[in-house]
Amino acid sequence: MKVSVVKNVLDANDRIAMENRALFDKNKIYVINLMSSPGAGKTTLVERTIEALKDKYAIAVIEGDIQDTCDADRVAKLGIPVVQINTGGACHIDGNMVREALPAFNLEKLDLLLVENVGNLVCPAEFKIGENTKAMILSTPEGADKPAKYPRMFQESTVMIINKADLLPYVDFDMERARRDARATNRGINIFEVSCKTSSGLSDWFRWLEDQIESFKKLNP
Amino acid sequence: MHELSLIQSLLDIIEDYAQKRHFKKVNTVKLSFGKLSSIEPKCLEFAFEAQSKETKAQGATLEFDILPIVIYCISCEKEMKVDAYTATCPQCKGEDVIMVGGAQELKIIELDVD
Repeated sequence: MKVSVVKNVLDANDRIAMENRALFDKNKIYVINLMSSPGAGKTTLVERTIEALKDKYAIAVIEGDIQDTCDADRVAKLGIPVVQINTGGACHIDGNMVREALPAFNLEKLDLLLVENVGNLVCPAEFKIGENTKAMILSTPEGADKPAKYPRMFQESTVMIINKADLLPYVDFDMERARRDARATNRGINIFEVSCKTSSGLSDWFRWLEDQIESFKKLNP
Repeated sequence: MHELSLIQSLLDIIEDYAQKRHFKKVNTVKLSFGKLSSIEPKCLEFAFEAQSKETKAQGATLEFDILPIVIYCISCEKEMKVDAYTATCPQCKGEDVIMVGGAQELKIIELDVD
């Protein structure tokens, strides 16, 4: 007997992500799912973003790592509520892990939740968590071939932050190619060239993020 | 490693359908995904074999419908299947292309059951 199904295999995860989303909408929390390879600068971008926006918005962070709490410790130093998810081997954060982390926060008081995913350009792209925006970081030492090699990550992301721009004189990074290949997977991708070390370009990212948060608040009065 | 999560979700869906449709055994599971969706059939098969033990899906065969990579060239105004993803049109060599197929996520299409 044939049974027709036609269903996304990750349907159960998608449903949990939608429930998370409903909870975020109710509490007016803008959520960023931040993804990249290991070492591209996710935690440093989280730190810079907190420093720039913490006077204006109540921010919380979820840190995803296979093990250890060093990223969460860095964020906690900035006086921000943070939950570390240790995935215990899983290469990505899924909707359920985020759901289980949420009771640790006072959701009513939050404006912005930054979720730092496990460093990986493959699996995190597949698992929705209830975010408003998927943002990915590509750092210049990784090379400009990443959009062509991992198109799904770039197709899924609304934002591509090209980090470590200060290293451009020392690494072979073809900026034109990175931008072109990323745009070919995703015409609407917003690209920011930054250096989290020197702070160059970061103000554009902060402004974009503020605009997104403000528009989101208007839609959820 | 995401194959383990994918297969666990797949087995949950199969169990759900087994309850509703009252079947005892799964012979074939037909799946589809895009060629660029970072899914490796051999890894899926391995995870399926390991995780389906003592479920209704134990011993079932996985069939894959792997969807091609398709790009749309704005200059040529048409879609083309390509073997590997590239941001260059194979016909006009222009770079105004959009990827329109190939990254579709893993879907379960059909089960053959007894």
